[in-house]
Amino acid sequence: MSARRALGRLGRSTVRLTSAPGTNFQKAAVGAVALMLLAGVAIFVYAPTDYLQGVVQKIFYLHVSSAIAAYGCFAVVLLGGIRYLWVESLTADRLARAGALVGVIFTTVTLVMGMLWAKPIWGTYWTWDARLTSTLVLWIIYAGYLMVRRLAEPGRQAARFAAVVGIFGFIDVPIVQFSVTWWRTVHPGPVIVNDALPPQMLGTFVFTMLCTLVLAGVMVAIRYRIEALQDAAELATEPARVLSARGDTEPEAIR
Amino acid sequence: MNGLRVALAVARKDLRSEWRTRELIPALAQFIVLALVIANFGFQIDSRSAPMIAPGVLWLALVFAGLVAFGRAFAAEREQASLEAMMLTPASPAAIFTGKAIAAAALLIVCEAVMLPALTLFFGTPLNAQVVVAVLLATVGMTVLGCLFAAMAARVRARELLLPLLTLPLWIPFIIAGGQAVQAAMGLQANWDEGIGLLIDFDILFVVLTSLAARFVLDD
Repeated sequence: MSARRALGRLGRSTVRLTSAPGTNFQKAAVGAVALMLLAGVAIFVYAPTDYLQGVVQKIFYLHVSSAIAAYGCFAVVLLGGIRYLWVESLTADRLARAGALVGVIFTTVTLVMGMLWAKPIWGTYWTWDARLTSTLVLWIIYAGYLMVRRLAEPGRQAARFAAVVGIFGFIDVPIVQFSVTWWRTVHPGPVIVNDALPPQMLGTFVFTMLCTLVLAGVMVAIRYRIEALQDAAELATEPARVLSARGDTEPEAIR
Repeated sequence: MNGLRVALAVARKDLRSEWRTRELIPALAQFIVLALVIANFGFQIDSRSAPMIAPGVLWLALVFAGLVAFGRAFAAEREQASLEAMMLTPASPAAIFTGKAIAAAALLIVCEAVMLPALTLFFGTPLNAQVVVAVLLATVGMTVLGCLFAAMAARVRARELLLPLLTLPLWIPFIIAGGQAVQAAMGLQANWDEGIGLLIDFDILFVVLTSLAARFVLDD
């Protein structure tokens, strides 16, 4: 198939993804956005305003939720990487790719919201606290993961290298967190587990967290679809490659 | 122990090639001395501030010298496609990787043998057994991680971009614990025992993990 035809096909499928009214992806996306708006209503209308911190405290709901969503995404990267190294499953690799990108987005949200919260409460945007340091390292590692995917030769090499980076990155983060906690920390501990939240705040938080997880799941699913289409386009434009002795099953798996 | 024999043979090959060309060590030694000179101009250094600044300068110089050393360790193999030749032998990838790591660690230790006395000479910080132990323990973990990602980076485009990007964040645990230990050894307020304990834990963890992962990076 010529490159132009493949691109045209990719273009059509992308259009189908974004403009056709009835696709499941679109329904899911609209649903996730609606849920996030509902969460916003819960945060600003239902949840009480904090006595000490005032309205700034409302950052908490989305800040912690997106951190949890990010960890979930990176867990997908970890499991996808392990699965890929184990059985060379292309599905697992695509899931890992999707998880990494969405995870970096949620980590960015966590960091930015955290800094905005820290300025009025701690008096500074940044401090080298355990939680902050390890989240920053998390962001850097998975940004590196995305760079590996860009720079390595697409296919088996990129997937393998990225899987190794994803696994090491996931292990590195708790280590950084632990070793910095050993010496210095100002970040508040887990208020949720400690039963320190009034019930309305807790309810709002749980609701926001669930909505954010749904949003993350939908984003990963859409990204997965994009990755699958890109793989298909790449396979269609590239000249036939010599497949490895182990028998790469790419053409079948793409379908 | 066949694997160990292979590893030592690979390490000997690397060290012999370095001994014959004598390229990397002199370059790295100069690099380290230059880093100290730059630190001297960048910071305001006197006898009072030197002990506060010296540990940071030590880790910065060591980390960047390490990046250059590990990058070279696999770049030479790539230039002559000799890694593929080694992979064709029945030797296990883990043993070949161990050999490369031993040689790279030896080169880095030679650099440290230049850096630590130079640091004492220029900054007046103490050079004692505690500093040496901390730096050597950090070298172990930094070497296995650095070699793993150097092996990876050697096979991709823009490797000089990718190697620091992957290696530096994963080295952070060693910098945190090693930094603590060196600060303590240089007489600052820090805990040497805890730093060393963590360094040993991290070394064990990453040596095990890297030996598991080496197969996927080398055998391609």
